[in-house]
Amino acid sequence: MKRVGVFICHCGTNIAQAVDCEKVAQNAQAFPGVAFSTDYKYMCAEPGQDLIKKAISEHRLDRVVVASCSPRMHEPTFRKCLERAGLNPYLLEMANIREHCAWVHPDDKERATLKATELVRMAVAKVIQNEPLDRSTIPITKRALVIGGGIAGIQAALDIANAGHLVDIVEKEPSIGGRMAQIDKTFPTLDCSACILTPKMVEVANHPNVRLITYSEVEKVEGYVGNFEVTIRQKARSVDLSACTGCGLCTEKCPTKVPSEFEMEMMNRKAIYTPFPQAIPNKPVIDRENCRYFKTGKCGVCQKLCPAQAVDFTQEDQLVTERYGAIVVATGFDLFDDSVYGEYGYGRYKDVITGLHFERLVNASGPTMGKIKRPSDGQEPKNVVFIKCVGSRDEAKGKAYCSKTCCMYTAKHATLVREKIKDSNVYVFYMDVRTPGKGYEEFYTRTTDQYGAKYLRGRVSKIYEKGGKLIVRGEDTLLGRQIEIEADMVVLATAMVAKENAAELAQMIGFSYDQDNFYTEAHPKLAPVETHTAGVFLAGACQGPKDIPDSVAQASAAAVKVCGLLSKERMETEPTISIVNEAICAGCGMCVTVCPYKAIELKFIQERVDGKVINRRVASVNSGLCQGCGACTVACRSAALNLKHFTNEQILAEVDALCL
Amino acid sequence: MNEITNKMRKIAGEILQKGEASVVIGWEKGTFWYLSPPAFIDKVEDVDRLVWDDFCHNNLSKYLVDFKYKEEKVAIFVKGCDSRAFNRLLQDKQIEREKVILIGIPCPGLKDQDQAKTLGKEGDIPKAEKCLECKYPNPLVYDYYLGEKEELDEVAATKEAPNYSDVEAIEAMSPDERYEFWTKQYDRCIRCYACRNVCPACNCRECVFDQTCVGWIGKANNSSENQFFALTRAMHVAGRCIECGECERACPMDIPIMLLNKKIIKDINELFGEYDAGIDVDSKLPLGHFDKSDPEEFM
Repeated sequence: MKRVGVFICHCGTNIAQAVDCEKVAQNAQAFPGVAFSTDYKYMCAEPGQDLIKKAISEHRLDRVVVASCSPRMHEPTFRKCLERAGLNPYLLEMANIREHCAWVHPDDKERATLKATELVRMAVAKVIQNEPLDRSTIPITKRALVIGGGIAGIQAALDIANAGHLVDIVEKEPSIGGRMAQIDKTFPTLDCSACILTPKMVEVANHPNVRLITYSEVEKVEGYVGNFEVTIRQKARSVDLSACTGCGLCTEKCPTKVPSEFEMEMMNRKAIYTPFPQAIPNKPVIDRENCRYFKTGKCGVCQKLCPAQAVDFTQEDQLVTERYGAIVVATGFDLFDDSVYGEYGYGRYKDVITGLHFERLVNASGPTMGKIKRPSDGQEPKNVVFIKCVGSRDEAKGKAYCSKTCCMYTAKHATLVREKIKDSNVYVFYMDVRTPGKGYEEFYTRTTDQYGAKYLRGRVSKIYEKGGKLIVRGEDTLLGRQIEIEADMVVLATAMVAKENAAELAQMIGFSYDQDNFYTEAHPKLAPVETHTAGVFLAGACQGPKDIPDSVAQASAAAVKVCGLLSKERMETEPTISIVNEAICAGCGMCVTVCPYKAIELKFIQERVDGKVINRRVASVNSGLCQGCGACTVACRSAALNLKHFTNEQILAEVDALCL
Repeated sequence: MNEITNKMRKIAGEILQKGEASVVIGWEKGTFWYLSPPAFIDKVEDVDRLVWDDFCHNNLSKYLVDFKYKEEKVAIFVKGCDSRAFNRLLQDKQIEREKVILIGIPCPGLKDQDQAKTLGKEGDIPKAEKCLECKYPNPLVYDYYLGEKEELDEVAATKEAPNYSDVEAIEAMSPDERYEFWTKQYDRCIRCYACRNVCPACNCRECVFDQTCVGWIGKANNSSENQFFALTRAMHVAGRCIECGECERACPMDIPIMLLNKKIIKDINELFGEYDAGIDVDSKLPLGHFDKSDPEEFM
């Protein structure tokens, strides 16, 4: 006979206010196998855990049921408690009487108490069937992968590399740097973005532990924490990086002009180009879609002129497979498509631009060499209107969320306009001004008080062109009146959105994302850089709109998680995985195709049938890959697959306890 | 029919004579004139037992599972539905294609045994219900072919979309009515497992209903256990049922088992796109593979 101890937690008043915990403990005493039962205010706290340990030794308990919160948080806590008391940690079962009972039935104490009793009854029935399980360990590949070479990716890679671990950065574009490279100044200090970013770019590029894999994309991710196998597509650059000296002659002589993505198409680049002067690697790439040689087969000027003979038209995409112990996803963000707001005329009027366009216009190495000139005719704008929340906080047309950075960068833009054009007028249409951040509110106050930006609370209803001016019509809700402003240029504070292929990457690696395709952290408060997939961490705006300081902080946090993982020689694996009963397995292979982790394959075993030795096909589970999701146990008709700790017998015992 | 019977005997004799296969699986005349049970012929002198008539209902592919570990080849006669079952068994990795010699027989549709019993030999016996809706009367896979298949293809091509009016009638019921309907049906079940034993989709090494120690199902014959059996069996063949209707024919208690199977087929077609089991060996099972684009409504 098993001796089960039942411990009912009040969770302060979280459970106790809806459930009569004392009564549940009393009821549990009558369940078969229960040798001891009690309730306590905070079972997870040290006195609570001591209570469990003491009861285990005093009452010679060999199984423990804790009825408290979701096992997500405290199952590890109580498992450790059992271990310290000398019991196998898997002889613990938790009944979730908080989320599954107290919180959903706050108004009917009697029936909530009954439900809690039933949940405990099931847990007792299951724990009696539980078996001691042992964790095994597997070796760890001591190299990390950072996907995305923006500021978040660079910071994460630097921190990991400085801790002494090897790290690869895979960057889709020809250069690292990301969005931050496009930005002119950074709030709230107005440091030049490039001046603080490029030293980091150089540092990461020269770091002996870091390898840059630019102009490349992750194509396939297999494996699991500690041992990911990642296939990377290195796109054909058409330039031999080892031979190229970066002299720039090819770019100079290339006859084909293409609108520059980096300059927000306000300036041209060549078909063979480096995206920006400080690019790393500072070596060109051929844009094959626009290159005359690739389009017509004629030209080849760059190849003829290259003194290092580095131009290679025959290069092909290369697939390389590398192993990594951990992955940091830092893929950044895209901008919302402002043309959804037809009334603002974005895309129709040249002088209605996004904040990122403005960053290039005001940048010394941008298309206007840092002089603010409007795109349509190159005139210096005198009246500049900023519209905030374009695409953000708008469930009807855009995104429900706040993009977080726009209030501050609009204040920055307003300041820069006033600084550079002394006789200018700056108007900012806003819904709220949100400045929670160190020095942010002070910066905003300076923008209005010192720089004289005029903030107007209200939405813009229409922008139209009249006599070379943009007429911005909106409402000042504080004064309660319509206003019209004759603007020379309008800047939209465009929402940050998830990358176009964000969902695809999440599916490839196997972690979740929200309705806006931003990546979901494992816990919004206590695990903000982890994903639900072990060994995969998040940094930067791919997880949600973020400014630079937040991205950098998150990147360093993710790096610490990676270092924690890579600092071990081996890591423990959960024993709660599937096993195959080969005697029953018919070898149909349904489990192989339903397994999301590719953890099952078919193998042959030798057997004697009718006096002859035959080879019989059966399923075989790779314990390293199996995540214990249980899909195979459901697919297997003859129940040859069984999930340890959630075995058919254990689940049936629970069902019987509830129904019989 | 006689012509095909003669051809059957001839080819079976040749195959056994040359030693191409150790056994030929076909049909023979049974206890009554309206029964044609399976025959397992392993001697040349026995080939005259083989027949092809209006009552060759049994899906012979099912029996290939018994020869799974034999070294010698097996020859087997297949109608359209037998050939679909053969493809299904290939997909379930229960047989190997090269170890089976398939002799295809075009099937014009078989006759209803129960009606035959009442109407007598001279009566105008109607076709079996399952054959009326058959979309694949011609074998889909074969090594040899007896008879003309073109004609039947034309017939099949003129067939209307599958008729789900019986399923729709059940769907239109209220949950209580539906429960009452199925309770009434399955209260008759004697759990003889004939439906399972005759089904080509049932090819487990050990059926869950035989795993008495685990406690999936009790031995008692009552509504609860019977219904558990009914639903479990239906779900276990879901996405793999080739609509040969053998379960319903074999049922001694006249339970409309195909109605359950058809309901699931209809649901699969609606949820995962049109899918006919046992047509394409390389097709992915609608309920048997993980897909990244699977909806995750619960997450």
